[in-house]
Amino acid sequence: MSVAGLRRRALPIEALTAFGLISGPFVLPPLGFAPDTVNQILVWGVFGIGFDILFGYTGLLSFGQSAFFGTGGFIAAYLLTENMMSSVLAALLVGTTGAALVGIVVGAIALRRVGIYFAMITVAIAEMFFFLENSPLSAWTGGENGLPGVPTPIFEFGGFSYHVGTGWSMYGFLAVCYFVGIVIALRVVRSPVGAIFSAIRDPLRARAVGHAVGRYKLTAFVIAAAYAGFAGGLLGVLQGFMPPDAFTFDTSGQLVMQTAIGGRGTLFGPLLGAAVWLFLRDFLQAAAGLGAAWKLVLGVVFVLLVCFLRGGLIGGLRDLLKQVSETRRKAAPEEVPALSSPSPLASVGPSRRRQETPFSGPVLAARSLTKSFGGLIANKDINFSVEQGELRGVIGPNGAGKSTFFKMLTCELAPTSGRIIFHGRDITGMDVAAVCQLGLTKSYQVNQLFTGLTLRENLLIAALAERRGLFALDLLRRMDRVPGLDVQVESTLAMVGLTARADVPVADLAYGEKRRLEIGLALAASPSLLLLDEPLAGMSPRERAETVQLLKNIRRGRTLVVVEHDMEALFELAERITVLHEGALLAEGTPTEIQRNRLVQEAYLGGVAAA
Amino acid sequence: MITWPNFVSQLFNGLALGALLALISSGLTIIYGTLGVLNLAHGAMFMLGGYAGYVAFEATGSFVMAVTAGALSLVVVGGLIELVIIRQFYDRPPEDQLLVTFGIGIVIVELVRFAFGSLSRTVPPPSWAAGVTPIGFLIYPTYRIVVLAIAATALTLLYLGLYRTRLGMIVRAGIEDSSMVGMLGINIYRVFMLVFGIGAMAAGFAGIVNAPVVSLTPDMGDSILVETFVVVVIGGVGSFPGAILGGLLAGEILSLTSMVDPSYSSVMLFAVMTLVLLVRPQGLLGTGSRA
Amino acid sequence: MSVLLEVERINSYYGDSHILFDLSLRVERNEVVALLGRNGAGKSTTLKSLIGLVRPRSGRIVLDGTPTQGLPPHAIAALGLQLVPEERRIFGSLSVEENLVLAGLTAKSRWPLERVWATFPRLCERRRSRGTDLSGGEQQMLAIARALIREPKIVLLDEPFEGLAPIIVRDLLAVCRALAEAGQTIVVVEQNISAAMSLADRVYVINNGHIVEAMTAQAMRDQPDVLQRHLGV
Repeated sequence: MSVAGLRRRALPIEALTAFGLISGPFVLPPLGFAPDTVNQILVWGVFGIGFDILFGYTGLLSFGQSAFFGTGGFIAAYLLTENMMSSVLAALLVGTTGAALVGIVVGAIALRRVGIYFAMITVAIAEMFFFLENSPLSAWTGGENGLPGVPTPIFEFGGFSYHVGTGWSMYGFLAVCYFVGIVIALRVVRSPVGAIFSAIRDPLRARAVGHAVGRYKLTAFVIAAAYAGFAGGLLGVLQGFMPPDAFTFDTSGQLVMQTAIGGRGTLFGPLLGAAVWLFLRDFLQAAAGLGAAWKLVLGVVFVLLVCFLRGGLIGGLRDLLKQVSETRRKAAPEEVPALSSPSPLASVGPSRRRQETPFSGPVLAARSLTKSFGGLIANKDINFSVEQGELRGVIGPNGAGKSTFFKMLTCELAPTSGRIIFHGRDITGMDVAAVCQLGLTKSYQVNQLFTGLTLRENLLIAALAERRGLFALDLLRRMDRVPGLDVQVESTLAMVGLTARADVPVADLAYGEKRRLEIGLALAASPSLLLLDEPLAGMSPRERAETVQLLKNIRRGRTLVVVEHDMEALFELAERITVLHEGALLAEGTPTEIQRNRLVQEAYLGGVAAA
Repeated sequence: MITWPNFVSQLFNGLALGALLALISSGLTIIYGTLGVLNLAHGAMFMLGGYAGYVAFEATGSFVMAVTAGALSLVVVGGLIELVIIRQFYDRPPEDQLLVTFGIGIVIVELVRFAFGSLSRTVPPPSWAAGVTPIGFLIYPTYRIVVLAIAATALTLLYLGLYRTRLGMIVRAGIEDSSMVGMLGINIYRVFMLVFGIGAMAAGFAGIVNAPVVSLTPDMGDSILVETFVVVVIGGVGSFPGAILGGLLAGEILSLTSMVDPSYSSVMLFAVMTLVLLVRPQGLLGTGSRA
Repeated sequence: MSVLLEVERINSYYGDSHILFDLSLRVERNEVVALLGRNGAGKSTTLKSLIGLVRPRSGRIVLDGTPTQGLPPHAIAALGLQLVPEERRIFGSLSVEENLVLAGLTAKSRWPLERVWATFPRLCERRRSRGTDLSGGEQQMLAIARALIREPKIVLLDEPFEGLAPIIVRDLLAVCRALAEAGQTIVVVEQNISAAMSLADRVYVINNGHIVEAMTAQAMRDQPDVLQRHLGV
């Protein structure tokens, strides 16, 4: 499910979908599909589009989508059966909106936690909705009877009215709905917001490159709720009746299973999964005479797929096709291509978007920075300042508190006391993403890359934050309509010398290339101050030399602070060195001064002369 | 109707229910604490224990045999599931682990439905526990008192097992740091298999013990699953004392609120869980290592 | 054979970060070997590769005649290797005594608890205390005692003196010296050079995942510029 891959696809998905939907009534009956079954498949398909965006793309597994399915369905059904609205389409839209609003509230609660806890909150909330429907609100929802008498749509075209009936007539209506749903979803997934959804699987880095991850998660959640609400309304119209079991856990579970079977992260997976599910149900019950065992077969198929075919049926098909047609993608070369000298155009200057008021004084100043964890004092009263254009080295023996110090500077960790001033502005206690947007970023000692994406897509994610700020709801915008995006990505690629490998998936990159991408991600945010945490970690001697050269290149027009253990490299790069020891500032000076400093020697060698 | 006898009756109900929930939840919490996997098939295992006991009861007519069968069959089933399936998922993301245990739960439920049909089965309470017992002004079903006693005994045994035996020590250490346990020469995969089996057994044992109170249906584990999660969340993931506290709390919440309005009782429980998850995600007695 | 542990050209990775490059070393029976090096040099990764927490992608590790590369930690522990991790990792919810009993459970031969108390009187006083209630020094003692109770052929100590008050370091050093004199084979990774040098018979210096020096401790003392060059600033 690559981001830009969708952009550059050879296949026109929308056209293929339209073709598929049009040919449905001719192709499916001979295969054994009854029109009502096909209609149900379409409804589940719509339900799943939104869920796949939430789970397949953004990675949030919710077992509570039935809450929104039911909400949207019952709102629409109520409006129609109580004759408060005559247009079915309008009622559906009201239901969808209602579900989306409920989604905002539920999402705000559930998304405070992740993983298993998030899933459990969604289950609890969905169960609450079921009970609400069943009892307190049963006057409106019909309780365990549901709401009968939901009408089918009537379309009027200048005197000529078309009344949607059942069977293939309903199919026409549902197919159009599905098509519209897919077209919108494809736009969303190809938009900047859609790209960021894929990056949220690595939330630490997504935040660190400047995205308001929480808001994007809520966006995905609300999209899923809206699609669920719309599908719920469609169910009522299809059946002429809104059933209470729309709210059950089984419904949520069925959606999850169908999506996993069909293939998550594909948008069409839920449709295929629903087809498999409903077809097997009909086939096994009627033809094979297995009666109630159809769900058992489905359960076993589901477990097998989860174990062996993570991408579901579509994913498996994709992998098969990839193996059959030899890919143009090369494996990581034995020799990493050497870093060429940067072209004159290759500079990622200070942000065009960010207004930088001229400022004199240190770029970064930390005053009395202290961090304690319970009784342990990791950083004590550190005063630290860096001037514009400097390349400062930070060293210290083990336990000196360097990583804690760095985390405080980027605001990944809040100090116990003290202040951090960046460009004259107090950033103490700010959010990591906000600090990145102000121009302070970090590259990590252990690579924090966006796995599952290509190199270019990684830089794209960072560049999107640089171009669009913390949060933008440009769901329907095309990626090539983001001003300056391509230039930002290309110039960062050139800076780190990886243009030739831009379309390689991250997993296939050599270690040295990944480290360069790691620095590239921080660069793509157009920082004025770049912190580098052990950029030479785990490198071969040749990679070290290349990275040192890279650092020399990127320091132009920027301020750099580098934590390193490789003294030779650091002394070659830095004009001044700060030494931390046992959580406090021990010394500061030029490399020569530091080397001559007795205190520093003793800190590292621990009084070896005495031994 | 809130009357004094009603209230006391519900209080007792809450205790019995709570003790049972505590037992089932202990199983879930030690599995999650040790293996790091949330067993979405736990409700299905509760149900399977009931049916295994039913089969044994139909064959032997003995309640004791039924309970034994319910417990032992789940040790075997649980151990096998860990060995064959769960073990392959330790390195996979938590969503995949949720999916596979969810799927296993579905398969177990459908297998039982295939074998026994959807109509309910009954296991009668043993003759010595049938009927009612007067407690002061209250007349209370005898078997429910027995359930409370059995659940309390089982919890005590589980407690003793965890805190007084060598194996229990290994399990508790494993909940804290399973890799370190491995470095001390103990095969942690065997520990995982055992823990999963014991956790499943707790659910299955509860399933057969509870069977005379309800009727056995393949879906009876669904509501139990959700309630068990709630207990584990409230009490604290990975904490055995938390499961007991959470279980008793949940049992009382469910029972007492059902006096006011039966349909609201579940909602109350979920509301409490959501509150705990937001305010104190590690639960009342949890150590917060996995939040 | 006096060689108890033979490490031949191992290459260990952290993810796909190449940490150890064709690293070779050996440990002989009854000796104390120190691994010195700057932060990030690969000292901890070396110990983790020995105990099986990190699986070397190539190379061989032979412990008392048995190849161990690729074995899981519990199997390597069973063969007689024990690691005292840098983070200590004692079981906080268990008491001191339970920590020790647990450690000894699967050992082929073990110290009687009395011997542990004799070696670490402080632990005897705190035998019923829970792990979380111990001070840093006591936790370190417990971590070491836990390893020793299994009578391992080799004990690996990962930065045992880090973060401890000098007086505790002095006590621990005395314990380690006594163990060494009694014949225990020890490999110690330390940044506290003087402490390491006071224990060691032989020294390896690791730099950027390579062994750059190998000599006796005495030879190292005679050439202070060697240490200065590799570990100094």
